Amino acid sequence: MSELTGSKTIADVDTILRINNLYTYFYTDIGVSKALNGVSFDVPARKVMGVVGESGCGKSVTALSCMRLLPKNAKIIKGDITLFRHIQKGNDNSAIVDAVTITNLNPMSQEIRNIRGAELAMIFQEPMTSLNPSYTVGDQIAEAIILHQEVNNAEAEKRTIQILDQVGMANAKGIFHRFPHELSGGMRQRAMIAMGLSCNPKVLFADEPTTALDVTTEAQILDLMRDLQAQLGMTIVFITHNLGVVAQMCDYVAVMYLGRIVEQAPIEPIFYNPKHPYTKALLNSIPHAGSREHARLQPIRGVVPDPFSSIKGCAFHPRCNSFMPGKCDQAVPATINVGEGHTVRCFLYSDEVEK
Amino acid sequence: MAEVATPVPQVPVVEEAVSEVGQISQWSLMRLRFQRNKLAMTGLIGLIIMYFLCFFGPFVSPNEYTLQNTNYIFGSPTQFTFIGPDGHFSLRPYVYSTTTVLDQSTFNFVVKVDKTKKLPVQFFVKGDPYTMLGFIHSDIHLFGVALPQRIYMAGADAIGRDMFARTLVGGQISMTVGLVGVIMSIVFGSILGTISGYYMGLADDVIQRIIEVIMSFPTIPLWAALAAALPPVSESFTALDRYFLITVVLSFVGWTGLARQLRAKVMAYRSADFCQAAIAAGATDSRIIFVHMLPNAASHIIVTGALAVPGMILGETALSFLGLGILPPMVSWGALLKDAQQVSVILQHPWIMLPGVAVVITVLLFCFLGDGVRDAMDPYSI
Amino acid sequence: MLNYIIRRLGYMFITLIIVAVLGYVIIELPPGSYVQSEVDRLRQMGGNLTQGQIDSLYRRYGLDKPEYVRFWLWISHFVVGDFGEAFAYNMPVSTLIWSRLGLTLVFSLLSLVFSWVAAIAMGVYSATHRYTIPDYIITVLQFIGLAVPNFLLALVLMVFAQNVFHMQVGGLQSSQFQNAPFSLPKFLDLLNHMWIPIIVIGASGTAWLSRVMRANLLDVLNMQYVQTARAKGLNENVVVWKHAFRNAIHPLIMVLGSSLPGIISGETIVALVLSLPTTGPLYFNALISKDMYLAGAFLVFLAIALLIGNLGADILLAWVDPRIRYE
Repeated sequence: MSELTGSKTIADVDTILRINNLYTYFYTDIGVSKALNGVSFDVPARKVMGVVGESGCGKSVTALSCMRLLPKNAKIIKGDITLFRHIQKGNDNSAIVDAVTITNLNPMSQEIRNIRGAELAMIFQEPMTSLNPSYTVGDQIAEAIILHQEVNNAEAEKRTIQILDQVGMANAKGIFHRFPHELSGGMRQRAMIAMGLSCNPKVLFADEPTTALDVTTEAQILDLMRDLQAQLGMTIVFITHNLGVVAQMCDYVAVMYLGRIVEQAPIEPIFYNPKHPYTKALLNSIPHAGSREHARLQPIRGVVPDPFSSIKGCAFHPRCNSFMPGKCDQAVPATINVGEGHTVRCFLYSDEVEK
Repeated sequence: MAEVATPVPQVPVVEEAVSEVGQISQWSLMRLRFQRNKLAMTGLIGLIIMYFLCFFGPFVSPNEYTLQNTNYIFGSPTQFTFIGPDGHFSLRPYVYSTTTVLDQSTFNFVVKVDKTKKLPVQFFVKGDPYTMLGFIHSDIHLFGVALPQRIYMAGADAIGRDMFARTLVGGQISMTVGLVGVIMSIVFGSILGTISGYYMGLADDVIQRIIEVIMSFPTIPLWAALAAALPPVSESFTALDRYFLITVVLSFVGWTGLARQLRAKVMAYRSADFCQAAIAAGATDSRIIFVHMLPNAASHIIVTGALAVPGMILGETALSFLGLGILPPMVSWGALLKDAQQVSVILQHPWIMLPGVAVVITVLLFCFLGDGVRDAMDPYSI
Repeated sequence: MLNYIIRRLGYMFITLIIVAVLGYVIIELPPGSYVQSEVDRLRQMGGNLTQGQIDSLYRRYGLDKPEYVRFWLWISHFVVGDFGEAFAYNMPVSTLIWSRLGLTLVFSLLSLVFSWVAAIAMGVYSATHRYTIPDYIITVLQFIGLAVPNFLLALVLMVFAQNVFHMQVGGLQSSQFQNAPFSLPKFLDLLNHMWIPIIVIGASGTAWLSRVMRANLLDVLNMQYVQTARAKGLNENVVVWKHAFRNAIHPLIMVLGSSLPGIISGETIVALVLSLPTTGPLYFNALISKDMYLAGAFLVFLAIALLIGNLGADILLAWVDPRIRYE
């Protein structure tokens, strides 16, 4: 189900995934959890986009919404997600794109299953539990290849060994026949990455892939991902809560708080010119080398609110040091542009209210 | 780098979800969780009612359970009506009078219901004398009707005995055999399982082999063989002795499951830090077992016990049904069902199966209770 | 793998010996003996046996020898197939038990297969379709299977079949086919008589197994690797059956061994109620009449069947779960 949209400008055309005003709610026995409350961002092609935020802010839900992997009690209430497939530059600086609106697809349909794995891939946080303990590593990777690339078993095995090699496994041929419990944590994560890459996806969602690894292994995996991304020209959406990793890996960053993107910018402005009070507070809370002896850590005031509660106005205002009563607790600020590719949602910079 | 914004007055505070901080003991927590579970509470209350009914059975039922009434052989349940002799609704129920006549074509006695004669049901009536709970002698029944009529709530059996009364009294045996058997299994299984897991080595091997051997035999045939070995009831070996030995037989197989599970738990605890610390501090073996390990295993033991009762009840019922368990004149539900072995009898007099219904209800209630106890004690469930 | 099998066979052999000893103890357990009860019966009828006659009876049945000698006699005869005499029938035990044991195994096996197929189907369905009406129906069926004793269920079904379907349900064949030559109607009649026993014997096992299956599958469906499988673009059926089910079945195979005693013991008692020509009726009658050689032989054979079944289950588990093999 693709549609040929009309001419677009080149700036638009560099976007590979567009999430527009996404609302995803979870319906549970204890209430409705509004996980995503109007998330909008564009993922630029062939770049690494970081999505940062505390636990529970909706980072994973965003990725799962894109893959239509939400559990049965979750629903995309509003908004759309568009995957731009084929970008062809016309001679008049316009481009013809072949796009598919993912939110229009039935989550159980053949179309979305064709997209999963082949165009959108996802790797998860816990490598031990992400691989099926009853099948060999090679089988699980080859399964994806056979599914999407219609090759026979022998060819799939060959390609799998190739990929395992590419992700830096020392004995790719031997690893093919190993079970997950026979590999170390780092090797398992490499296997996961291999599985994600096996069908050359356009976008790879990496949901905290290094959080469960020790620092040394983490560094290796991040290097690997960086290299592969450069080699394959793949887009990565890197979900994490670790700003240090963001600094190493990402070209662009989106900062999320309680189901909304509060700030979005290329990597340098986020670190050197943060606009949103939350971004600033996050950066402030990191202890840094060179600070004064016995300097106190500056955590963000308050706690992350209960996901079932509703906060009127800007969701961050109860914890914000720049809170403006009468304004911040009345309406949700709209996303406005504050620089080259830099957007922010805050009444400090504009009075525009979200519709 | 980042700037620190100047603090602004009037900063609202996010409301904390918990307004008071209190403390509640672990057992209270479990009790509260149990009470929230409606199915479990149904089980608990249902069982309390059933135990009460069974132990106060002689009082509750209008007839004495051993009384034979040749006028009412295989009689059907008494019919009630709430319409008085004057034709109006009455709060007091009435029963129809019955007479027994000889059917001259089949040469059988047939009970005829006379719908014109209505007898009022009275409460706290004088009826057959009985002994209840071993020491209460009385002849007051909860409800009844003037003799020679009798109320048969669930009909009568082959020699005219009241099925309702027999089921209630039979429940005294059936419902206690399970409990006693489970307690024995728990004690035996805990001791052996703990020894096996704690000391390991030769004791463990021997005990494990014994468990394997016992578990290699099919349950009911093994019970049957052991029960068949019991001497017949005589002066030196009373029916009560037999009852006790039957529970021993039932727990002979039951302890093995718990012993295995406890062994696994004890072995896991042994290498856990808290036990290592106790050992390092010089605690004696018995202190480690009784103060450290068993309290942790207590919840598991209780849950296993609760879930094992239905099996015991079903086992006693099966054994008595086969004629190898509780023997007459003692009654239990299985023994009562022995009379209900033929399809023709059941078809004509379905009320004979009342003890079966009692078994099913009791087992279901124990299942609800057991599930509720398990869910309440599981630290990870919501 | 071969090592594992050999080790398990070794353990089984040891257990087998202890089983034989225990079986013999059980045989000898009832006070008195068949000979004694026959002597008593004769005495009651008026005839009086002299001590000499009693002694020769005892000698004939070997009851005058010490225990361990008798045990050795018994077991040495047992392993060559001489199981002693069945007193009440006055023929060797072996002629009586083979056909019945065979039929017991047939029914047990069929019940096992039925029980597993039904439990898997119900368990997987109710795990993947929670809170639907079929799920509630399945829950009710499970409670019935768990709470109703199997002999009671057999009785109820028999009443039902006779009353509603007007089928003759006792025994293995209806009377008109009893001695008839083999034919299609006879075969169908046989099947007609077999479905009640198979369902009843398997009922409580099915109920409990399907609950375990449901719980396991629910646990596994929450695992990350199921999400990974979906993320690869696999069809939901493939995800459930190839990825989730494969891991959910492990605990079930582990308890396969311990579900066997229930099936065999259930078979004995249901056979009694339904008058099937298997172990059950003969065994229980033997116990009541203290025909201990007959009863003992049955018991030991049933135990052997269970041991073999357990061995099979362990091998199956090792084959399915690669982690067990290295223990």
